[in-house]
Amino acid sequence: MEDDADSRRRRYRELLHNITMDKDGASQSQSKLDKDDDDSILPAGFVDQGDSTATYNQPPPERPETIRTRLWVLISAWMIAIFLGLPLWHATTTIYRAPLPMQEMQNWSEGKLCKTEFPLLVEVEAPSLPDAENLLKTVQHALDDANDFTAHKPHHLRLRLAAKKAKSEEDSKSDKDENVACLLRLIPDSQNGYNHAVQSSSRIVDIHYPPPSSSSQSSVSAGLSKFVAETLEVLFWQEQELIEHLLLPQTSNPGSLNALSSQSADESRDKKTPPRPRAATADINRRMSRVVKYSSSYHITFSLFTATSLPASWDIESAISQYLTPLLSALSPISNFTISTQVQYYASISSSVTPTYDEELQSWTLKKEDLSSFINSAEWPLASISNDPNLNFILYIPHPSISPLTIPSASHSNSFLLPQWGGVTILNLDQSASHLQHLSNPTLKPALETFATHLLALLGAPPHPASLPIRLDSLVRQRSAEVLVSASSTLGSLQRLVNALPSISIPTTVSDSVQDSILHLSLACEELRKGSFVKALEMGRVAQEEAEKAFFERTMVAQVYFPDEHKLAVYLPLLGPVSVPLVLGVFREVKRVIAERKRVRGGA
Amino acid sequence: MTLSFTCSHQWLPSLPLHILSRLLTLLLFLNFTGNAVADTYKEKLDLQPLSGQFLLASFNFQSHGPIEAFNKQMFQLFPRSLGQILQYTHTRELHLRFALGRWDSELWGAQPGDGQNAGGTGVETWAWVEADNDVEAEARWTSLNNALSGLFCASLNFIDSTRTIRPVMSFNPTGDYPTTNTSSLFLLHGSLPKEPVCTENLTPFLKLLPCKGKSGISTLLDGHKLFDASFQSMSIDVRPICSPHTGACDIEIQQTIDMVLDVSRSLQRRDSPVPRPREQHELICDTSKSYASNEYCYPMDNSFDLPWSLSDLFGRTISGGCPFAINLPVEETSHVCIHAPENRLKTMETHEEVYPTSTEGKPDLQCYMLRENVEFDLAFPKQQPPTTPLRQEPLLYAERSFTGHGQEHGGVKTVLRNPWPNDPIEVVYLESLPWFMKPYLHTFKARVLPAKGLGEEVISELYYRPALDRKRGTQLEAKLIVPPNSVVILTYDFEKAVLRYTEYPPDANRGFDVASAIITIPPQRRRSDGKLIPATSIRTTSLLLSLPTPDFSMPYNVIIFTSTIMALAFGSIFNLLVRRFVAVDEVQRMDLKGKIRGLIGKLKKGKTE
Repeated sequence: MEDDADSRRRRYRELLHNITMDKDGASQSQSKLDKDDDDSILPAGFVDQGDSTATYNQPPPERPETIRTRLWVLISAWMIAIFLGLPLWHATTTIYRAPLPMQEMQNWSEGKLCKTEFPLLVEVEAPSLPDAENLLKTVQHALDDANDFTAHKPHHLRLRLAAKKAKSEEDSKSDKDENVACLLRLIPDSQNGYNHAVQSSSRIVDIHYPPPSSSSQSSVSAGLSKFVAETLEVLFWQEQELIEHLLLPQTSNPGSLNALSSQSADESRDKKTPPRPRAATADINRRMSRVVKYSSSYHITFSLFTATSLPASWDIESAISQYLTPLLSALSPISNFTISTQVQYYASISSSVTPTYDEELQSWTLKKEDLSSFINSAEWPLASISNDPNLNFILYIPHPSISPLTIPSASHSNSFLLPQWGGVTILNLDQSASHLQHLSNPTLKPALETFATHLLALLGAPPHPASLPIRLDSLVRQRSAEVLVSASSTLGSLQRLVNALPSISIPTTVSDSVQDSILHLSLACEELRKGSFVKALEMGRVAQEEAEKAFFERTMVAQVYFPDEHKLAVYLPLLGPVSVPLVLGVFREVKRVIAERKRVRGGA
Repeated sequence: MTLSFTCSHQWLPSLPLHILSRLLTLLLFLNFTGNAVADTYKEKLDLQPLSGQFLLASFNFQSHGPIEAFNKQMFQLFPRSLGQILQYTHTRELHLRFALGRWDSELWGAQPGDGQNAGGTGVETWAWVEADNDVEAEARWTSLNNALSGLFCASLNFIDSTRTIRPVMSFNPTGDYPTTNTSSLFLLHGSLPKEPVCTENLTPFLKLLPCKGKSGISTLLDGHKLFDASFQSMSIDVRPICSPHTGACDIEIQQTIDMVLDVSRSLQRRDSPVPRPREQHELICDTSKSYASNEYCYPMDNSFDLPWSLSDLFGRTISGGCPFAINLPVEETSHVCIHAPENRLKTMETHEEVYPTSTEGKPDLQCYMLRENVEFDLAFPKQQPPTTPLRQEPLLYAERSFTGHGQEHGGVKTVLRNPWPNDPIEVVYLESLPWFMKPYLHTFKARVLPAKGLGEEVISELYYRPALDRKRGTQLEAKLIVPPNSVVILTYDFEKAVLRYTEYPPDANRGFDVASAIITIPPQRRRSDGKLIPATSIRTTSLLLSLPTPDFSMPYNVIIFTSTIMALAFGSIFNLLVRRFVAVDEVQRMDLKGKIRGLIGKLKKGKTE
C-alpha cells in the first residue's frame, strides 16, 4: 500500500516537473518552488490554472462611448437612489405631523393675546338723593384711583359704575339686564348710620346712610361716596383676589415665565392696603384646591351608607326637590346637574380607620388624618359611568357599636368635604328611635343643607357676599377665567410637548381642534370684554374641551417609540447589498480616472 | 318592632306561638311597606343531592323595585352601579352568564331551572337594547360591554362585532314591554368562551347584593369554595315586569349561582388543604372481588353517603338571614331548602330560632327560615346504604365535537338525543362561530338514528348569516325536530382561515375557543300526556379549534429574503451595466496563489538560512 502511494506521488511530481519545464521563464520561480516543496500533493487541475497567468494580452483600449455609458449608468443609479429611493423610503416610514400654529399657541399660553377684563356694571338707585350724578362721579373717581395702583397689572377687575336713574329701569332691563352685577339702593336711615345689607336672594344691596342734615350737604355726600366705594370693594374684593390668583399662574408658568409681571403683581398685592392679609392668598389656594374642574354638566350621587341594614330607606327624592333643587336651578346657567341616589347596606369604613372613644364627649371620634382614608373605595360602589365629572355626597350611618361617631374640631354639622370629590356627613341615629327603619325628610334636612354648602364650595362659589345671585355671578366670572386659563395652558403644554417629542405623530384632528380652540378662546375673550360672562363661559368651555381633545388625542399618545436605529437594522439587508456595488462602482471609476490622469501626465 | 323582639326572646317550640310569630312578621312587613320600602328582596338557597356524591347548591337572589325610581336613578336595593350602566346604554333587558366546568347531564340529570340560568363556558351575555337603528344599537351594545367589563372585571370589552350575533329564533324577551315599541328593541348576543371565570368576577357579583355577602345565604359564597366546584355558573338577569292588573311596572334583578360540589373533594380539602393519597386503612375495598387481598384494593364507591354540613362544605355557616329577605310575607320566607327524603336523618346544629316550614305537599323537600343575626347550619349524618337521589331526566342530551384532521379543513358533529319514548321535541340549534372558521353550508346535514322513513325532514327552518372576514362571525340557527327515542346527528364541514400575523394571541398554539352551541327548547305541549314543557335551554361544551400557526419570526425572514432578492437582482444588473467585458486572455490575473507561495517560500528560506 505504502509503496503504491509513494510511487503515485513520484509520478505526479515528475509530470509536474515536465510540464513546468516546458514553460518559458515567466514561471521560473514557481517551478523552483515546486521543487523545494517536496511533500505537496498537487491536483491535476492546478497546472492549467497556474498556466493561464503566463499568457497575458493587453486588452484593447476602451472606447470613449463605453466609458461615457458607464458613467451615465453609474450617475443615474445614484440619482435614482438619492432622489427617488431615499425620499420614498422617508415618505413611507415617516410620521405624519399636521401643522400647528405654534407661535399662536405659545402666545395664548403666555397670556399675550387676551387682556382679560371683567367690566362690571353696578346700578345705583338713589331716589331720595338730589345730586346722585355727582355722588356717582365721586365714587367712580375713588374706585378708579384705587384701581390705578394696580393698573399696570396684566389682568385686573375693573369696576364700572353706570349711573342709571331709577326711572330708566325699564330700558336698562330690556337690553343689559344680565350685565348688572348688583344694584345699590341708597336708603336714608337716621338710626344706624352707615351700613350695608345684602339680600340673600337678589342682587340688591341696601346702603343705609344717615339722612343729610339741612346744612352740611356736601360732607354727607363725601362720606356717602367713600362708604359706597368701600362697600363695593368689600363686595367684590374676594372675587377680585381669586381671579387675580387664577390669572397669575398663567404668567408664572415655567414654560412662559414672565418674571417681571408676576413680580410686579406680588408687589402690587403688598401695596394693596387694608383688608388683604397674607393669609388671604393661602385661603384662596386652599379654596381653589377644592374646586372641581369645570364642566358643563355634573353628575351628583347621593349615597346613604349604613354599617348595618338600618335604615333601609330614605326620603331622598322629596328632600332633594325641597332643599337642593332651588340651588341647582340657580346654578343651571353655569352647569347642569344629573342626580342619582343609592342606598348601600353593610358598608364598613376602611379598616385603617379606627375611631377612638372620647370619654369627655361621650362619643367615638375620628382623627383628622383618618378623614382622608374614610372612604372605603375598595368596597363602596361609588364609580359612575357618566362622562360628566361625578360629585359624591355620602350620608354615613355608623355601626351602633361606634355610635355616636364625631369628627373633632368640626362645626356642629359633623361633616367634612373631600376636595374635588364630594362631601361626607356622618349621621348618628338614636338607636331607640322609631325612625330607625326609614330616614324621613326632616331628618335629612341638615345633611342636605350641608351638602348644598359643600356643593357650592366644590364648584368654587366664593363664600363672601351673602347674596346668592351675586355669588353665582362671581362664580360665572371665576369659572370663565378658569376655563380660559386652563384652555390656554393646555395649548401651551401641547405646544411644548410637540416641540419636545419630534417622534410623535400629529393627526389632522389635533390641528383642527387646536384651531377651534384658539377661535373659541378669542371669541370668549371678546365676550368678556363685552361683559357677557355667561357667553364667555360657554365659549371658554368649548375652547377648553377642544384643547383637551387635542392634547389627549389617543393616536398621538399611543405612538410607539420606534427608534431610527431599529428602522435601519430592519432595512440593512436591503441597503447593504445595494449600496456595496454602487459605492464600488464609484470607487472603480475614480481609480480609473486617477490612473488615466497619471498615464496622461506620465505620457506628457 | 319591639313586640317582635320580645317574642323571639321567649321563644317556645310550640305550634300556636309559632303561628303567632309568623303573623307578627307579616304585620311587621305590612308596617314596613307602609314606610315607603318600595323595593322587595328575597333570597333562597336550594340544596339538592345528586348521584355520585355531588351536591347541587342553587343560590337565588331576587329584588324588585318600581321602574319609575329606577328611571329617576333613585336606587335602593337595585345596585346603582349596574342600573346606571343599563340606563346609560338604554338596555331594557340584560342577561349575563359566567360559567365554569361542564354540567354532566348523564350523571346529574336535567339542569336546574330548566337551564335558563346557565351559560356556555366562559362569559355569555345577551341584551335587548333600545335604539333607533342598527348602528346606534351596535354602539350602545359596545358601550354596555365596556361598562360591564369594568364592573365585573371580565374581558367583556372584547365582545366586538366578530363575536356578536343577533339570534332570530333562540331568544325571546322575558320582560314586559307595554310602552316600548318592540321594533326599537335590538337583541344582541355575545360570548367569550375563553374567559376564565374566577374570584374577581364573584366579588363584584356579591357587591350587587343588598346584603353584600355579610348576612344571609350569600355568606356561604367564598371564591375558594365556589371555584373549586365541579360546575359553577353565575347569572344576572335584569328585566322589567309589569303587573297585568294595575299596569305598574317593576324592574327585577335576579342573580343566581348554581354550583355542583363534589362532597368528598370538599371534605378532603377541609381535612388537608394539600391533596394527598388516602391512607390504606381509609380505603374501602370491595372484598367480593376474586383478587381482593391485603395488597390489592378494588375501591368501592358510594358504599355510604358521606356526612357533611354546610360549614364543612362552604367553610362557614350562614350568619343569620339578610334583613331585607326576612320581612316578607310568610309563604316566601323559606330561605334554605333541601331536597332529601324525609326518612333520611338530619340534624340542625342550630339554635332554636329555625322554623321548619311547610313542605307544600313535597315529602322530599325540607325548608327552613333564617332569623336575623342567628347563625344557621345544616348537617347531614352518614347514611348507609347510600340514598339514590332523584334524578330528573333531561329533555335532551346534546354533545358536540370536532371531526376531521389536518390544518385546512375540519368538521363539527353535534349529537342530539331525545331520551323520551313517545314525545318528539322541537329544538332551535344556534351556533355562533368565529369568522376564521368558515362552514360550508351545503355540508350541513341532519341524520336520524335509528333511520326513519324518508319523508320526514328533521330541519324545518334554517337561518344562516355568513361570516365576513374580520367583521362578523357566522350565525347558524336551525329549527329541528328530534323524534322520540332517537338521535339526531348534525354535521357540517368547515374551512380554517389563515390569520394575519398580529391576529394570533400570544398562546397561538393552544388553539382558539369556539363558543358553545345553544340549544333552545321552546315551550311546547308534550304529545303523550299533554303536560306543558317550559322553555329550556342547553349549552354544549365549547370547542378548541387549532388553526395553522405560523412561525412568528416570519416577518423578519420575509424582510430579509425579499431584501436579499432585490439586492441580488439590482447588483447583477448593475454589474452587467457597469463592468467591462474582455476576453479571457486579456485579463490581468491577480496571481493570488503564486504570491502566497512566494511568501511561504521566502519564509522557509529564511528559516533554513
